[in-house]
Amino acid sequence: MNERTGFPALECDLPDGLLAVRAAEGDEDSFAVLVQRHSRPLLGLARGMLGNSLDAEEAVQDAFVSAWRRLPEYRHGAQFRTWMYRITVNRCLTMRRRRSPPIPLDAVAEPVAADVWSQPARAAEQDAAEAALAHALGELDAGQRVCWILRELQGLPYKEIALVTHTSEQTVRGRLFRARRSLQEAMARWR
Amino acid sequence: MALDDPNARPSHPPGTGGPRDDPAVGHAAPPAADEVLLCGRRLSQVWEQALDGMSADDPHTLSCPGCREAVEGLATLNAATRALRAKDPPGLQALTDRVMSVVRSEVRLGRLLPLADPELDLRIAENAAAKVLRRAADTVPGARAATCRLVPEGGGTGVQVTMALAVSLDRPLPDRVHQVRRSVVHAAGRALGLDVTAVDIIVVDVVDVVDVVDIREPYSPQAPAGGA
Repeated sequence: MNERTGFPALECDLPDGLLAVRAAEGDEDSFAVLVQRHSRPLLGLARGMLGNSLDAEEAVQDAFVSAWRRLPEYRHGAQFRTWMYRITVNRCLTMRRRRSPPIPLDAVAEPVAADVWSQPARAAEQDAAEAALAHALGELDAGQRVCWILRELQGLPYKEIALVTHTSEQTVRGRLFRARRSLQEAMARWR
Repeated sequence: MALDDPNARPSHPPGTGGPRDDPAVGHAAPPAADEVLLCGRRLSQVWEQALDGMSADDPHTLSCPGCREAVEGLATLNAATRALRAKDPPGLQALTDRVMSVVRSEVRLGRLLPLADPELDLRIAENAAAKVLRRAADTVPGARAATCRLVPEGGGTGVQVTMALAVSLDRPLPDRVHQVRRSVVHAAGRALGLDVTAVDIIVVDVVDVVDVVDIREPYSPQAPAGGA
């Protein structure tokens, strides 16, 4: 066993596709590597979608458990990462719909020190800019928001964003532009 | 949700990160509320080019004051975006632990297979046996097991193994498959006590040598799953 990660070393360098096949046949160790490998970007996505870390963790946990249950039927038409992004986006959308009234995305941004993601060394100005951006992100419609997060925070190619969101690359580009425009205006006002 | 999107295509190996797209494609129609700059270029296009890191290759953008101004207008947003991108979510290990505790409580056994001892009627779950046999295949350099199924044969204790492999092509395929078969038969007999009657091996994929040579390289959880 690999002492640092707690996973057997042999699985750790396997490509996602092989791990997913093995996990589909009930190999939990292979699934654990997938969880470890993908939870960071998925948490980033969910936090952007939901506006706070607690809900984000719940969404990503639910998404992984759902993926584990559905793996036997997963036929690898899409990359595992794309498939996980889709499940997580859907989970976040469901949680947002369920939440009423919506919790403002900047609920924990003031005071900044209350945000568990902050580091003490970070300049106050930068924190404030981040909080302003997080707030502006919360004002976007869900479609624009998910496209913007996947592109600007996670660096996904347009094609993969289109697959995740069940739309065309053209639509992705249009949503990205509208998102950028709204966010730019919001940040200009903030300044 | 459609899991098997026909448009899906493998782009890059997982873990290596996807390339940023070519921004020159897909501009059939401008997005709503787009703006045409004085030089005739669309704002959406100028922004996309700048954010995809393609402006430096375009002499027009470098010399056009309108385009430059449009790009500079993104500075505040870009700085905040970079800060947000650098944020590290807490509780990654705790999340993995919670997920895995649910997963391990929903264990899938598969069918039960006889061990090579008919008197005692001992049985082993297929998925547990498959895990051991996949591991045995993985120990052969340049080989990685994918699917592994075990089927009881006849009415006795015989079990037939079917395994799919991903291999690198730096050595002759037959040698490598032979090594894997030997390793699997050994593990099945010695570690598990199965009466293996046949090991059918199907090579389903070719992997890069670099992917599989140094199998003991520690996995780095810091490595991004993909993307820039």
